[in-house]
Amino acid sequence: MSELKSLGKPTRRVDALEKVLGTARYTHDLKIPGMLVAKVLRSPVPHAEIVKLDVTPALKVPGVVAAITSEDFVDHSNWGFPVKDDYMLAYKKVRYVGDPIAAVAAETEDAAEAGLRAIVLELKELPAVFDVHEALQPGAPILHEELAKAEAEEPTSGELEDAEFIEVHGKGNLSETLIVRQGDPLAKLAECDVVLDAAYSVPHQEHAYLETEAALAVPTADGGVTVYVGDQSPFITLSNLVMTLGMPGKVRVIQSPHIGGAFGGKSDMVYETAAQAAMLAIKSGRPVKLVTSREESMVASYKRDAMEMHYRLGATKDGRLRAAKIECWADSGAYASMTPFTSWRATIHAMGPYRYEDCHVDISCVYTNNGYSGAFRGFGNTEVTAASEQAIDELAEMCGMDPMDFRLKNCVELGDTLPFGQKLEYSVGLKQCLERVRKISDWDRKRAEYSRQPANQEVRRGIGVASFFHGISLGAEGLDFAEHTIRLGEGNKFEILTGLTDYGQGSRTVFCLIAAEVLGLPVERFQWMPCDTDVVHECGPTVASRSTILGGNATRLAAMRLLTQLYETAAMMMGCMVPEVRQEGEVFHGPGGRRVSLDEIITYARTHHIPLSAKARWEMPRIHWSFAQGRGVPYVAYHFGAQVAEVEVDRRTGVTKVLNIYAVHDVGKVVFPQGIRGQIIGGISQGLGYALMERVEFDKGYIQNPNFDTYLIPTAADMPIVTVEFVESELPFGPFGAKNVAEPSMVPTAPAILNAIYHATGRRIRHLPANLERVLLGYDLKDTVTTVCQIGVCERAKCEL
Amino acid sequence: MEIRFTLNGKPTVVDVPPDTTLLHLLRDYLDLTGTKCGCEIGECGACSVILDGEVVNSCLVLAPQVEGRQVITIEGIRGPDGGPNDLQEAFIEAGAIQCGFCTPGMVVAATVLLRKHGYPTREQIVEGISGNLCRCTGYQQIVEAIQMTVLRRAGLPGKEGLA
Amino acid sequence: MSGKGGPSLSIKHFDYVRATSCAEAVAFLSDPTHVSRLLAGGTDLMVLRHKGEVHWDRLVDISQVPEMRSISQQDGAIVVGAAVTHAEIVEHPLIQRHLPLLADACHSIGSPQIRNRGTIGGNVANAAACADTLPALVCLEAVARIVTKDGEMTMPVKDVVVGPNRTSLPAASVIRDFVIPIPPAQARMAFFKIGRRQVQSISRLSLACLGWLNADGRVAEVRIVPGACTPQTRRFDQAEAVMLGEVPTEELVRKAGQAGAAQMVAITGRRWSTPYKELALPALIERALRKVFGLPEVR
Repeated sequence: MSELKSLGKPTRRVDALEKVLGTARYTHDLKIPGMLVAKVLRSPVPHAEIVKLDVTPALKVPGVVAAITSEDFVDHSNWGFPVKDDYMLAYKKVRYVGDPIAAVAAETEDAAEAGLRAIVLELKELPAVFDVHEALQPGAPILHEELAKAEAEEPTSGELEDAEFIEVHGKGNLSETLIVRQGDPLAKLAECDVVLDAAYSVPHQEHAYLETEAALAVPTADGGVTVYVGDQSPFITLSNLVMTLGMPGKVRVIQSPHIGGAFGGKSDMVYETAAQAAMLAIKSGRPVKLVTSREESMVASYKRDAMEMHYRLGATKDGRLRAAKIECWADSGAYASMTPFTSWRATIHAMGPYRYEDCHVDISCVYTNNGYSGAFRGFGNTEVTAASEQAIDELAEMCGMDPMDFRLKNCVELGDTLPFGQKLEYSVGLKQCLERVRKISDWDRKRAEYSRQPANQEVRRGIGVASFFHGISLGAEGLDFAEHTIRLGEGNKFEILTGLTDYGQGSRTVFCLIAAEVLGLPVERFQWMPCDTDVVHECGPTVASRSTILGGNATRLAAMRLLTQLYETAAMMMGCMVPEVRQEGEVFHGPGGRRVSLDEIITYARTHHIPLSAKARWEMPRIHWSFAQGRGVPYVAYHFGAQVAEVEVDRRTGVTKVLNIYAVHDVGKVVFPQGIRGQIIGGISQGLGYALMERVEFDKGYIQNPNFDTYLIPTAADMPIVTVEFVESELPFGPFGAKNVAEPSMVPTAPAILNAIYHATGRRIRHLPANLERVLLGYDLKDTVTTVCQIGVCERAKCEL
Repeated sequence: MEIRFTLNGKPTVVDVPPDTTLLHLLRDYLDLTGTKCGCEIGECGACSVILDGEVVNSCLVLAPQVEGRQVITIEGIRGPDGGPNDLQEAFIEAGAIQCGFCTPGMVVAATVLLRKHGYPTREQIVEGISGNLCRCTGYQQIVEAIQMTVLRRAGLPGKEGLA
Repeated sequence: MSGKGGPSLSIKHFDYVRATSCAEAVAFLSDPTHVSRLLAGGTDLMVLRHKGEVHWDRLVDISQVPEMRSISQQDGAIVVGAAVTHAEIVEHPLIQRHLPLLADACHSIGSPQIRNRGTIGGNVANAAACADTLPALVCLEAVARIVTKDGEMTMPVKDVVVGPNRTSLPAASVIRDFVIPIPPAQARMAFFKIGRRQVQSISRLSLACLGWLNADGRVAEVRIVPGACTPQTRRFDQAEAVMLGEVPTEELVRKAGQAGAAQMVAITGRRWSTPYKELALPALIERALRKVFGLPEVR
């Protein structure tokens, strides 16, 4: 392949300038004259029946223009996918603290607050449940009676194509069980020389994007509404709005020009925020802006699920893995959201990227009144890998093997079969990642040196590794395609129209780079367009790190078609045939010294009404997974990687400092170097937080830490220097060989750190986060001095006396 | 309440309720939305501005407290031609920007840091931005952007970090 | 249950006045037509306001009162105005030279943004149990000079804070400054803080320590003040007693640490946080004593 001109070279992010000047506009910044302020009344309790709800008193408050409840929507605002169990505004019941009940729009913030206070709300509190195991007991309070009844009567089929989505029926708070099946691991474990039987857990994690959820809804002349919103998937927002507002053809979603972070978190709560703002705009006839406070965002929005995991792994005494029996319980919270999908992905990845003979995985999604859980970077893989990579380390030690050697002995390679029946046919760079990270981290020397630290040394260093894999894109979750258009726009630039969104991960830049590469033109010739559902095509959600492959390939194909158009136009202008045209950057040469520039081609096309516009659709190769059998091909291909963490632990205080992280990832092909590096380091910072300091502290359903003073995320001072390298085992059908990277970067970080802590201290911490108490004492101290936290108000329980 | 102060070098008068924060004065009354609201309790730094030469969280400053004082926001940080200055260019070049929501606060904090330390160590740079949370980048490229700026101002080659 | 179900979530508006002197501030506070509260840097007050805990209808801004803004040396003491910010304290040559303990404590607070606004007076008057200036001020035997409507009074800082967020300051009073005796030249100091992340953390536990030896190498003075540890910040005399008059040794230092843990439990009883603190506190005490008395560091 000839040398790439644009890809893989240092590039400026296409939308960086306005961000650094402070002129970038996020939803928070959008204003329209006459705009009303909206506020939402949210449940102050974890589980209750709505006995009385009357918003008419709010309308009598001076300045309040509109007030809404679920009754204003179609079908009581019922929505949700894959389980339709949620409501834009609560209907009959509230199921978690923060569940939205009603909303008002008013001229001022004061009036909106007064409006909320005037609403008559009577709740009858119901018994609530906060533990997944208790939730599964007979007699536990049931969150979704209608669903439990319906499932008991008739199996509901999932809404996925090419997949039979298994559901377990009538079992109260159990929403799904996902499985992987191969052989009989329990029998095999009995034969194994070395068996590990251990329980792990991970807590709820908050996305903590810097920009909270917001929407601006503007009523349109035809009785419809346009909603400006910072969401991940405008077409899903659109379809949810159409469904609940009941006005097909009159709803338009325009993505705000910039979005302040998402990481999977700008879906459900954003749909609800958009719907609430939209309905208020329709009712009031005025533009309505709804901005959530940080506490509101932290309390009401969905989290990464907490998970409890039971691992049984078996190996031969010389360290060859043989069997895995893994059972997990995912705390889905009040609504299913994406948890059935995150749990499915978790089952596929729970055993790690290794060869096994027999393997069973069972993951149950359970309803509780602990907020609700949904998509967050890693999407299930982050959760299980925090356990599996510690379990692998523990097993390695039982076999007397170095953790790196153990992984190298068992890691999958091209041609191996994963323990659900899939033969790996593309792009497996795991071994190279492990070998490379071993080298650049100086693993062997440090491992030996730190193992020699005297027993009574107080501040001790350790080094740990974690390797992982991450299925690319949606896999068997659903139809996986993207459709892009590249067309001539203003200023002789080509516009790239996509339904995929850029909330910081750099997809806009990636698409521009790919178009530039294919068309042989400078990147500056391309302009990304904000996503407007009236203009762009459905591309599926911007999740699963799928933008580069799906969007990249759609861009690539569209660019190839556009290139043909350019050649044809040039040929027409020069009076020659297409094969006679030769391109040199922006100049197209013809026979006999003739030449035309790109700008001349554009002018010619405009004058002669030749539309320079190309559209292309690209679809992932079809795969098949049997949910009933727990076997098949869940993802076409996988991202692989390994990270090494080096820590220094103060054994007298429990303070852990991460000194270094080395990350080697198999990304297929590097497209946007600064972007990909930023994705890796950013993911690592979230993994570091997950390992050491992040936990949404639920106490009887109330979140005790709803702002950044008590929910801690890493600062610049918490981050070590991160060394990033790439292995490029090109994926044949990725654009120029590229795979994905956005999510995988965070998956191995926490277990690498926890493995390093073990190496430093001999203390194995199986429950995240490895906070001060767990490192010092070996167990966490439950805060019994909690005070109940309600939205926007938190008692001063900050000082941990 | 009438507040008179100097904003981005220009004398400014604005009439706001006395309990308005500087953050909301800027965003809602003066339409300067570059300064962001992230938490309203002074923990995230997205609202950082320069008050009499010091970096502060504008969400914790009451509007009347800037009477007679100098405030500089991200909108006032520019190169001589009105475009990005060298620090801002470095942010772009180093890949220090992803979603961009923390960026104005980071640039403000870095600007003050570089006024205080002409040749800051990596540790001093980290401390200078320790009050600015970023969830996207993991900070490393932001630190590199600041280091790059230091080297360039000193006329030294290389992008590599300082001690 | 009706409404939003929580205490005052309504937006409470308030008025603002600026005081130009302590006397004026006191007059504002004494004015019966308002419920007034002092505002300095706003780093505590504005957070309370955001969380809906507004129990005032007027704020009295004392952040620019001249007699509260200076740092000077007077009669063997450093006088630090109550409206001096943490950043100013950290950077001031007099503090760096004579009271590095206070500089370290102030440096550990918040972030650059917070330190540029938060004041030492505000930190004391807010009286959070985990306030970082308290252990340093108590250790340095700082005395607060307070202006009240009945005249001026002084109070050792250790008596100002009586419990979490509770002070013994009279109503309608303002701390003007802190008089901090300059320790003798041979005094050594140490400050340690444990947080849940590297910076911008609420103290999980902290320790201020000061001491010096007399001519024959015995401990002439030792002050051990844990922070974020007990409802009232105080010297742990039982830990100090282990060291006083003795030649410092590694064994003694460990014994002092244990005595500190025991004294903590005696004061607070066994609480949920005790298993952590009774292990971490001795570590901080040992390390501080080693630093103060020049014993080799133990790693």
